[in-house]
Amino acid sequence: MNPSQIAIDRERKLKLFFFLCTLLLLVAAIVMIKNVFVSFLLAFVTYFVMAPIVDFLERRGLSRSLATTFPFLILVIILIVLGQIFFPVLSDQINSLKTDFPKYLDASTKFVTNLESQANTFMEKIYPVDLRGNLQPKVMNLAQGFFTNLPDFISQSLTIFFLAPFLAFFMLLDGRDFVRRILALVPNHYFELALNLNHQISAQMGGFIRARILESVLIAFVIWVGLILLGFPYALILAVFAGVMNVIPYLGPFIGAAPALVICLANAHDSSTILWIVFIYALAQVLDIILIIPFVVAKIVDLHPVTVVLAVIVGSQLLGILGMIISIPLFSALKVSTSAIYKHLTDFRS
Amino acid sequence: MVNYLWENFFRNQDKNQNLRQKLKQNILFQDLNFSELSLVEKIVNVRHYRPGESIFKQGEVGVGMYIILSGVVNIYVEELQAATGASYTTHVTQLKSGDFFGELALVETEGRRSASATAHEECLLVGFFKPDLIEIIERSPSAGVKILSRLGEVLGARLRQTTARITELKKEGRRQ
Repeated sequence: MNPSQIAIDRERKLKLFFFLCTLLLLVAAIVMIKNVFVSFLLAFVTYFVMAPIVDFLERRGLSRSLATTFPFLILVIILIVLGQIFFPVLSDQINSLKTDFPKYLDASTKFVTNLESQANTFMEKIYPVDLRGNLQPKVMNLAQGFFTNLPDFISQSLTIFFLAPFLAFFMLLDGRDFVRRILALVPNHYFELALNLNHQISAQMGGFIRARILESVLIAFVIWVGLILLGFPYALILAVFAGVMNVIPYLGPFIGAAPALVICLANAHDSSTILWIVFIYALAQVLDIILIIPFVVAKIVDLHPVTVVLAVIVGSQLLGILGMIISIPLFSALKVSTSAIYKHLTDFRS
Repeated sequence: MVNYLWENFFRNQDKNQNLRQKLKQNILFQDLNFSELSLVEKIVNVRHYRPGESIFKQGEVGVGMYIILSGVVNIYVEELQAATGASYTTHVTQLKSGDFFGELALVETEGRRSASATAHEECLLVGFFKPDLIEIIERSPSAGVKILSRLGEVLGARLRQTTARITELKKEGRRQ
């Protein structure tokens, strides 16, 4: 290797080191600073949902800043109007749920006790089952913690809900320039790979997040309408909960349906109501499978079911419910990156 | 301090004007109006290469094209002789400021580079890649159509040149 090649090689290594350090610092800052991680996640979701609208307005001739400001103003107005309509209902439902919670806990305990005694009829001698003893203190702690921490949670959420749109606005306005500046630090040797990788991950994430949000909105809407028609209590909270939980693959729909069934048991509804509840939740899933998945299936990240379950388990171990929700997009980003780097090493440079 | 800021401000403006001029001179971007050209200017990637530094190698998957802002680029092809196993390097051409190369990668899916490119001296290149072209099409379809129609023209001209060259070689072969 001649001296000029050695100098080029040294410069390449230095640039790569500097680029990786910058990337690590950015990730560390996002993860370490309180509230910033969740705000960034929400901002990313908002960014991917609104980017097609901003691009559309830009195509119609608006400048980037106007094309970004205009939909944000409309979104704020919609949120204020929806807040005026739904917040009083939601607050009433939360208060009512807080009052009725011991009743639901009691019903769940009876259900668990019943299950436990049935299990013990044939398993007692081999392995005595103590579901109530194991579960009840945990559920009590969780429930008490939820209602005691609610004011803290709301104040934290407010910070996040103000920070997330702020970040999303600037991501839409200057995000591409920012990414371009970061990519400019990549050494020439890896530049085409990095640019291509960024494009692939961004396209895949955008498609995935938009598809998931569409699914959640549809699920929440169908359940809300179904529960309202059935005259079931807490329709809005249950629908929102089912919509959010639906983001978790495979397990989500079951977790989403659980509270409605517990309420059914607690209020001693007849079997026809329970069947209606099961029907409404199943209908929401069937509509999702018929209407959404065939049209957006190509955009949903193609991962094997075993991989999905493993990713969700790892996510739940590391970050709880949040980990379960973000595990699939993060894992798919990892999959795209590793397969592109592998391809680069084996094929791209061959 | 004020002078320094003003000088830098105007130097940056000069740099941008130089980039815009070079882009406007390129056949792919010559039909674009001022705002479309400003968008392209924001999207393209200006890269600096040292003498002897490889820009891309023959056989690699290509992602886009390069326009030379300043400096000289060598294009060469490596051939492997099956009988002896030895490799020969044939210098194809030397490109200078204003020239562009690698445009086929903009329309091919994972097409491989047919030649290698290396900076002969200090080079400033504008990289224009497939993700950049997609971004332009998404944000300004009219600019995208203008670029694509010029790209079609360039590729057509290259094909015509290649056909003419093959015909010439065949004629020479028959004469011999």
